[in-house]
Amino acid sequence: MTAGSVGSPGVAVGGDVHRGWFPADAERHRRDAPRYCPACAAALALAEGGQGLITEYWTGRDRVFVCFCGACGWSGDIVLAARVTGHEAAE
Amino acid sequence: MLTAEQNDELTQVAAGTPMGELLRRYWYPVAFTRELEEFPVRPARLLGEDFAVFKTPRGRYGILPEACPHRRASLAYGVVEADGLRCPYHGWLFDADGSCLDQPAEREETNFRSRVSARAGVVQEMGGLVWAYIGPAPAPRLPRFDVFVMDGVRDIGWTDLPCNFVQIMENAVDPHHTEWLHGRFFEFMARHQGFDAPPSFGKKHIKVGFDVFEWGIIKRRVVEGASEEDDDWKIGHPLVFPYNMRVGGANIEQMQIRVPVDRTTTRFMLYTVHAPVGVEYPPQPSVPDYQIPVYDSSGRHRVDYVEGQDMMAWVTQGPITDRTVEHLGRSDIGVTMLRRMFKEQMSRVSRGEDPLGVYRDYRSQIDLPCEKNKFDSGATFAIDFIDRASSRFSPQADALKKLHIKAHENRKAHENGKADEKGKAHENGKADEKGKAHENGKAAAG
Repeated sequence: MTAGSVGSPGVAVGGDVHRGWFPADAERHRRDAPRYCPACAAALALAEGGQGLITEYWTGRDRVFVCFCGACGWSGDIVLAARVTGHEAAE
Repeated sequence: MLTAEQNDELTQVAAGTPMGELLRRYWYPVAFTRELEEFPVRPARLLGEDFAVFKTPRGRYGILPEACPHRRASLAYGVVEADGLRCPYHGWLFDADGSCLDQPAEREETNFRSRVSARAGVVQEMGGLVWAYIGPAPAPRLPRFDVFVMDGVRDIGWTDLPCNFVQIMENAVDPHHTEWLHGRFFEFMARHQGFDAPPSFGKKHIKVGFDVFEWGIIKRRVVEGASEEDDDWKIGHPLVFPYNMRVGGANIEQMQIRVPVDRTTTRFMLYTVHAPVGVEYPPQPSVPDYQIPVYDSSGRHRVDYVEGQDMMAWVTQGPITDRTVEHLGRSDIGVTMLRRMFKEQMSRVSRGEDPLGVYRDYRSQIDLPCEKNKFDSGATFAIDFIDRASSRFSPQADALKKLHIKAHENRKAHENGKADEKGKAHENGKADEKGKAHENGKAAAG
């Protein structure tokens, strides 16, 4: 059960201009993703020496950053909300 | 969306990387049992490393790095002996623990062989597969998941895909793709290529949910016409961390296995057990394996069956999909959950802890939650599954359909028999009551 070795160690990951679309969004992600853990203040981004993970998804005009801090184990969502709305208090 | 560094970390398999170290805490299938019965040594590639896997005449399995510690010739061409594996080049002999037992051209008194050992892994056989663990000692238990040890008629479809395994695993926490890739797209291709698409896959998702559990993530869904009382929500089915997905329904139980062979090659395996109630299973001296097609004769992806459609999606995402330019939505929360789980488990390993799904207490069978009534489609699912999924390429596809039909007929006959008995008992009961009433009446009259 041996696979042919299709891959090579030097495969480019991310920023693949031949397959990549929306590079501006990638740039915004890098700019806006939370940089520090809200619980322990450790850096989150690998590029800044952190040990966290931040995945961004969109919901409507909001941008949600799903965060995990490898330093303290905290995880949670941080939302960049385009609009904050409330509703009437329940009677 | 991730940064390039995060995508790089998530998709590594090499030793010394956080992800590679995490992945080395688990057991993987590296050969079919029958392969080592046919010839006792063969090459195996796992997590970017090359190995020789072998079985001695005494029945002991072993796995050693393919390159001989002497001068790097391939041990996958080795000579299998009672005590282990001998290099074909100069005859150095290694046992299954990696100890060097013999160096024929060296003088015994130099004791050179005690200074040279191979970094051996641990190997076990289970369910027609040979499993290897190549991580740090002590090896955890090989998980005896239900499909690998349960009764039934089994077979294994497989192929090698030119992409990283994480994008395949992300598909396992993406319920919505089912109604499109296996629903609308299937119908579209069926219309143009002239075949029938099964209606059960196209049902609209009303709701999806994910729960972390002991072995990974349970995926749940409510499809149109069903409710939270149905199996798809109440039970769901699990992503078995880090590289399996358990699926099933209508007496077909399956583990979808995605072995990270190297960073951009994944061995995709469909380990299937057909276990219909109401029929005796024929004996299987060995588990049949068969290669499933990925491409057609013109080099296009073959998309006329369920897994062919999945493979098209996974492979066309690229060898390592570029997550710096993806756009996840709310429907992708399962994907974000899985990535967080990978990262969390990398952290556990870096702290010296066992990650999720590594266990050390023996259990004879680990039952995984898995829905029985799939997509609220009842018994037709079994035949759809064989006709329109990878099982159609199994050498025993026709026999399997007959098995399911026979079991269905037997169950029906049994149910009808019970109904008849009930009916008769009811009639008899009524007759008895009448008789008794009559007797009582007579007695009363008397």
